[in-house]
Amino acid sequence: METRSHLEKILKKGHFAVTCEMGPPKNADIEILKKKTKILKGYVDAVNITDCQTAVVRFSSFASAIIALSEGLEPVMQMTCRDRNRIGIQADLLGAWGLGIRNLLCLTGDHPKFGNHPQAKPVFDLDSIQLLSLVKGFKEGRFINGEEIKGEKPNFFAGAAANPFADPFEFRVKRLAKKVRAGAEFIQTQIVYDVERFKRFMELAEEEGLLDKVYILAGITPPKSFGMVRYMKYNVPGLMVPDELLKRMKEAKDPKEEGINIAVEIIQQVKEIPGVKGVHIMAIEWEEAVPEIVKRAGLHPRPMEPEIQPPFVVEKVVEVEKIVEKPVEKIVEKVIEKPVEVIVEKIVEKPIEVEKGLEGEEEMDKIKGVSIEFLIEMITNLKAGLKNLQSGMEHIEETLAEIEKQLLGRKPKKIEKVFRKIEEIPEKKVEKIAKEERKEKEIKEIKTEVKVEAKPEIKPEIKVEEKPKEEKEIRKPKKEIKEKVEDIGKTGFKGTYRDLKTRAEGLSEDLYIDKSSGKIVEVEIGKGEKAFKVGGTEVLPFYSFEGNTGQPLKIAMEILDIVPEDWPETLTKYFSDVFHDPGLWAKKCVEEYKAEAIGVYLIGTDPNFKNLDVKHAVEVVKKVKEAVDVPLIIWGSGNAEKDVEVLREVAEVIGDRGSVIGPIVEANHRTLGATAIGYDLPVVASSPIDVNLAKQLNILLENVGVNLDKILMDPSVGALGYGIEYTYSVMERIRIAALYAQDIKLQAPFICNVGREVWKTKEVGLPTDDLWGEAEMRGIMMEAITTVCLALAGGEIFIMRHPKAIELAKILFNSLS
Amino acid sequence: MAKPKIAVLCCNYTNSATDEDFKDFPCEIVIKRFPCSGSIEIVDILKEFEDDAEGVLVCGCEKEKCHNKTGNLRAEKRVLGAKKYLEEIGIDPERAQMAFVPRLDTGAFVETVKDFVEKILNKR
Amino acid sequence: MIVAERRHLSEILKNIEPYNKVLILGCRGCVAICSTGGDREVEIIATALRIARKRQGKPLITYEATLIRQCDPEYLANLPELMKDAEAVVSLACGVGVNLIADLYPDIRVYPGVDTLFFGANTQLGVWQEKCRGCGDCIIDLTAGLCPIARCPKNLLNGPCGGSQNGKCEINPENPCIWHLIIERLTARGELDKLNEIWEPKDWRTYLGESPRKRIREDLIKNNKREG
Repeated sequence: METRSHLEKILKKGHFAVTCEMGPPKNADIEILKKKTKILKGYVDAVNITDCQTAVVRFSSFASAIIALSEGLEPVMQMTCRDRNRIGIQADLLGAWGLGIRNLLCLTGDHPKFGNHPQAKPVFDLDSIQLLSLVKGFKEGRFINGEEIKGEKPNFFAGAAANPFADPFEFRVKRLAKKVRAGAEFIQTQIVYDVERFKRFMELAEEEGLLDKVYILAGITPPKSFGMVRYMKYNVPGLMVPDELLKRMKEAKDPKEEGINIAVEIIQQVKEIPGVKGVHIMAIEWEEAVPEIVKRAGLHPRPMEPEIQPPFVVEKVVEVEKIVEKPVEKIVEKVIEKPVEVIVEKIVEKPIEVEKGLEGEEEMDKIKGVSIEFLIEMITNLKAGLKNLQSGMEHIEETLAEIEKQLLGRKPKKIEKVFRKIEEIPEKKVEKIAKEERKEKEIKEIKTEVKVEAKPEIKPEIKVEEKPKEEKEIRKPKKEIKEKVEDIGKTGFKGTYRDLKTRAEGLSEDLYIDKSSGKIVEVEIGKGEKAFKVGGTEVLPFYSFEGNTGQPLKIAMEILDIVPEDWPETLTKYFSDVFHDPGLWAKKCVEEYKAEAIGVYLIGTDPNFKNLDVKHAVEVVKKVKEAVDVPLIIWGSGNAEKDVEVLREVAEVIGDRGSVIGPIVEANHRTLGATAIGYDLPVVASSPIDVNLAKQLNILLENVGVNLDKILMDPSVGALGYGIEYTYSVMERIRIAALYAQDIKLQAPFICNVGREVWKTKEVGLPTDDLWGEAEMRGIMMEAITTVCLALAGGEIFIMRHPKAIELAKILFNSLS
Repeated sequence: MAKPKIAVLCCNYTNSATDEDFKDFPCEIVIKRFPCSGSIEIVDILKEFEDDAEGVLVCGCEKEKCHNKTGNLRAEKRVLGAKKYLEEIGIDPERAQMAFVPRLDTGAFVETVKDFVEKILNKR
Repeated sequence: MIVAERRHLSEILKNIEPYNKVLILGCRGCVAICSTGGDREVEIIATALRIARKRQGKPLITYEATLIRQCDPEYLANLPELMKDAEAVVSLACGVGVNLIADLYPDIRVYPGVDTLFFGANTQLGVWQEKCRGCGDCIIDLTAGLCPIARCPKNLLNGPCGGSQNGKCEINPENPCIWHLIIERLTARGELDKLNEIWEPKDWRTYLGESPRKRIREDLIKNNKREG
């Protein structure tokens, strides 16, 4: 049987192997190492020397291994990937083999963060599995780059670590299998306290067929104090400590004695688990305990004396040989003669001057590498973490405040500026009307296109004076302002349109014309004389210079099925006389305010609001239908289930009028789609402000049989200051996709439910005051501006509320169309 | 020596104080009104220091009382933000303070300003 | 985006100590989005620097500007114009911007106003997380789109290490163990077998081996001229 090391021989012969861990000192004193090896010699088959465990700088693993070797104790040299790249690792391995080191434990290594040099650059050029492959490659005579090793090839007895207690549990065995395939011949496990879980791990390993391929040594650590086990339980990741053990340590009169007992018991338990070929005792800075544990566990004497090949230096220097042999014998005698307790005591009395530190912490150091440094580091990190969290919150708040600032207007200084600008524009307009516009740049010209139609002498004041120039001037008589609100209807804009061709004279057309290849579908709304179509455009909104702009934009006036509860007075005053009867309300809209269509919002049916029944909805719609002859847009509560119930019945009533029903959402598109097909009604397809979702809903509707020429897309709009830019952007992208990217499924017209969004904002409800200006005008402007913005984004039909806002919007639409 | 200057950036709705209310103060009080304390930016606070203010007090409505729900809390964050910059350029961060005052209670507002002024003048 | 953190004002002040007129130059790219070097920060930092200098009795004149991108010579073209009166520039762009200014305008004294951190995502308001290390050899096709190079502190290719517990990373338990996530995702996809293979050591040449790295697209180079 050919073996490379004593450890391998023990394992191959089927003996239960015992190894232990030895931590080198944090200084350059080799005497400390010698003392430690002397304690351990004869009790373990090999000593495993840590490679700067927990990333704390120590006497190197390589050099310590040589010392152990020269002391006649076989080392297992640890090699981590934390501090060396593949060049450094290979160099050290060549050296180690050359000097007689035969056992090698391949580890990834703890992160520097846990150590005393957290500032260090972590290397991790390889990981443990790649390191094992590298070692395997050495055996086959090649470097990791594939180059051949000419001459002596390292042929280590290679080991690796496994942690049965880390997550994900099932993958742990798979990873072990990977290590075995990569070349691991023996395994040292993480500390076993939870024997049950370890057993399960071993069973899985057996299923995986690993037990014949690798020697598994169970990790054993004698707990030294209650504080230590408690720390391990709660602070060391990848370590499981049963409560029972905690209890035992807490109640122990002599914790150290109890710790040794526990270690011995665990050794006896794991020994019985099939596949466990030995134990690896980790009692760093408590090496004295190892002989006692080994003895009590019945593992002493060891089956074979090692035949150690001392490093080559020994062969040449005679003196060194003496050092190697003589002390060894003496120590062994000592140990045998005296009761173990005494030895332990004695050595404790003259502590090996490795590191001074609090007991508890040093112990932690051993386990998985938890040191004072780690604690300090942890606390620092915790602090830093809290700081980060705090600054994160600040960022959130700032951003929110920024958003809110956008909503609520800017600082006083800036408001003044805005006011001034508003003032200036009309003045310029007047001037230019007088002079004839020509000189200014294009943008300004667009503004100048708008001319006063009826009463030019009133017009310049419209927008101006309700916004105060300075705070002192705020308290203006309300009356004056009121007159202006009323004036909106009487005045209007009229533009003489100079087409782009004239303005761009001398430029070739292809410089400014980019004709689309798509066309928006026309949707007919209503039946009979008052019916109209929307859509049909082949160009981006108002790009009349590029081609056919399709049907004119339409505005529907919205009424509710109940008396509105949250409308501000500035809006209710126009309708309060007809709130009691939806029929009269609709009639007023059509006769007095010339509504071209009526939107009926069945908000009262909302299960989360009044939950009125289907009967109520049908009655309201009936009344409206009888009272007016314009097309109707019946808008459900927005509750997907209730809408199915309500709109089904409502469709029965308005089926012959070709009224629009909606909103149809993904959740109810099948049922409501079927209803719409049954009565041949156009529908509102509502999607949550997203290009793809809008498209998907159109496709779903088409799949159930609703053609695109029956679909009005509701992209979910936001009011001015409430996400209008997002709405705008999504609508714009939908429209560009429809016209320029031939995205046929998006070629439906847009319906924008503006009034509802605007009149629920806080701003329309705030009273008239110095900073915010006159309340009603504020609401009107918000609704009109929202509508105009959405028209610029591609909106085709709008549902609005305030008569004056509608007039303003119409004036603009008419002047631009 | 010129009177020291103290700037007060406040939500418009916290008070209706006039210069008259501060005429007995041992310093010049500059009041700047904002529609909501939430719209006060870090740079607004810094600019007051640039204009030689010895202290800047930001006044928002009492917690839970902000008309815009959380504007006052945002103002508090901004003040914290400004303090960081002040600290880094060697100005005592206590010279920027946040105060929450009752809505439209000029008396309480003036008292708060007075307290702040005392604190700042004690630093001289 | 490239995520950056602002520098302590005392460091900036130290850098600009010899000058009386300084341009504070923001960038509307990544640093604006991560709230470190956009218009807003330019205004704040310029103001803070002026206050500091005024108190030192050496008043500072600042010029404020924010470019669309500082990592593009095109947008830097009018820098000399902006620098007409200034003696130095504090750039709030990432390190790329500062370097490009230094490359293009050897006579302009440029100082960094931010510390450039990483390539990250704005996972929530006020929080940026590293997602990519720009290692030059993407492997996330094999790891369900999650990058162990950027997101495992040991950049393990055969993870997870023994410090993975409850799906968290031992190095910073605020972070998920990315290998845990990778295993979870691949298990759900029935592709866990992919991980049975031993992953070869990474070829780091694409990352650090041949830096500074350069990308060339022959078809885009004008007149086949290559700059050195």
